[in-house]
Amino acid sequence: MEDIVLDIRGQICPACLLITLREINNSKLQLKRRETRLVVRTDHRDATRTIPGAVFAMGYDVNVVKKGGYYEITLEYKNG
Amino acid sequence: MGKMSSGTASLIAEDEKRDIYKSNERLKRYIRDKVNQLLTVMGTRPLNTEELDDDTLLDLDPIGIIALSFEQVLEHLKETNKKLRIAKDQLQAVFDTAGVCISIVDPELRIVNCNEKQKELLVSGNKEVIGHYCYEVYCGKDSPTLDCPAIETIETGRPVFIREVKKKGRNFQIVTSPLKDIDGNVIGVIEVSIDVTEKKKAEEGMRQAEKLAAIGLLAAGIAHEINNPLGNILGYAKLLMRESDISVGQREKLEVIVEQAKRGNEIVRGLLDFSRQSRPAFASVSMNEVILKALKSLSNQIDRQGIKLVTNLTKIPMVEGDPKQIEQVVVNLLLNSIQAIEDMTDRTISIETGYTDSGVEVRVIDNGHGIPEEILPRIFDPFFTTKPVGKGVGLGLSICLGIIKDHDGSIHVESEKGKGSKFSFHIPAMSA
Ligand SMILES: Nc1ncnc2c1ncn2[C@@H]1O[C@H](COP(=O)(O)OP(=O)(O)OP(=O)(O)O)[C@@H](O)[C@H]1O
Ligand SMILES: [Mg+2]
Repeated sequence: MEDIVLDIRGQICPACLLITLREINNSKLQLKRRETRLVVRTDHRDATRTIPGAVFAMGYDVNVVKKGGYYEITLEYKNG
Repeated sequence: MGKMSSGTASLIAEDEKRDIYKSNERLKRYIRDKVNQLLTVMGTRPLNTEELDDDTLLDLDPIGIIALSFEQVLEHLKETNKKLRIAKDQLQAVFDTAGVCISIVDPELRIVNCNEKQKELLVSGNKEVIGHYCYEVYCGKDSPTLDCPAIETIETGRPVFIREVKKKGRNFQIVTSPLKDIDGNVIGVIEVSIDVTEKKKAEEGMRQAEKLAAIGLLAAGIAHEINNPLGNILGYAKLLMRESDISVGQREKLEVIVEQAKRGNEIVRGLLDFSRQSRPAFASVSMNEVILKALKSLSNQIDRQGIKLVTNLTKIPMVEGDPKQIEQVVVNLLLNSIQAIEDMTDRTISIETGYTDSGVEVRVIDNGHGIPEEILPRIFDPFFTTKPVGKGVGLGLSICLGIIKDHDGSIHVESEKGKGSKFSFHIPAMSA
């Protein structure tokens, strides 16, 4: 299982949430079949709050890890 | 003029541009507002205006993205709903098939839910229970008792265990546990009641069996010790009676000695029977034949007292047992019936056989004086008798009980003072 990595570091990307949502939409099937996870790397602290808030209702588990100078948010579809 | 008009034309175009610009701005604001609104609905916070300029926002097609995300939210909701329903059904099934009674009540003790077992054992008839007070429905009271465990649980927030309580004629153990909300407030009580009636009966049976065994041992010891001196008394009394030079008065007194010694002998034999030191000799037994033999040995008494005897012996399987001992059971039951109808004008004893799930059944029914409720629990106790000295020792039924236990059977009595008695016992049938 290979993770889909969405690296939106460095860029001024206040739309992190929307971009993440778009990626989830695009990779919906693989994610839901649990063939992959989505790993988002961002240096926007806000994103660690907004992304979990939005994807939880869609059935994803979110794990946030603070790495060197950025955050790594891992989204995984939970079944059951 | 032309210049003027051209100037006017360009002025209109400027106006139009401004209008278009304005309405564009309005639209962008609208889209931003809606995006933010949608994001809030999804459970997250709005986007920062300074950080995301309008053009980037529009390029992203935010409403399109969120629409698709909503689709996923809906799918997830549907799946969750389905899972929840399955889980609820499973829980309900567990709730309903649990071997214990479960009921949930609110802090005012109104019933919120109760399972099938609870209804079966603690609700009379097909009464509606939800919304009614638990003390009314389950305890048959107008107000909760002082030691109500549910109230204690509501007050303390802790579970309460009650070792034994009698409700609706059965014995229960009860555990009440608090039902709490997320903040830890008690919002109800789960009452679990376990029916221990049968267990209790079994324990009492055990105690009875132990008591019988202890008394049996003692009785056997005493009987042996008494047998010898009794034999001597009887022997010497008989010897004396053979002497020719005793007076009539002396002879009469000797007769009393012999009679009483014989009676003592009988009691000793009863004691030995009761302790049954002799091992049962098991064989294949026809219950009907055993009964006929018992009736024959009592036929003199039955005839003499003008008793109407009704026999109804049906075709039944053989049982495995000791025919002598089973006969003794039948004789003891018949003797009790004969004694119970002595003072009646209309005297009937019925003896019947049948076949049930528990095996071969024998019923001895009389229309005698019956047994008062308060002594019913004691009639199988050794030495319990209501008969005058010389008439009963109180061993008959305890001997019956012991023999039937040895045969893996059971004995029951139904009786009411003044209405006669029905004794029935079961012995497992032999498998064909
Ligand atoms: N058929 C019956 N009708 C009314 N009372 C009965 C009947 N059978 C038993 N009882 C009651 O149960 C008591 C105990 O019976 P049980 O046979 O054990 O002793 P008993 O008859 O008194 O004495 P024993 O059988 O040793 O001569 C009796 O004294 C009597 O009060
Ligand atoms: Mg008796």
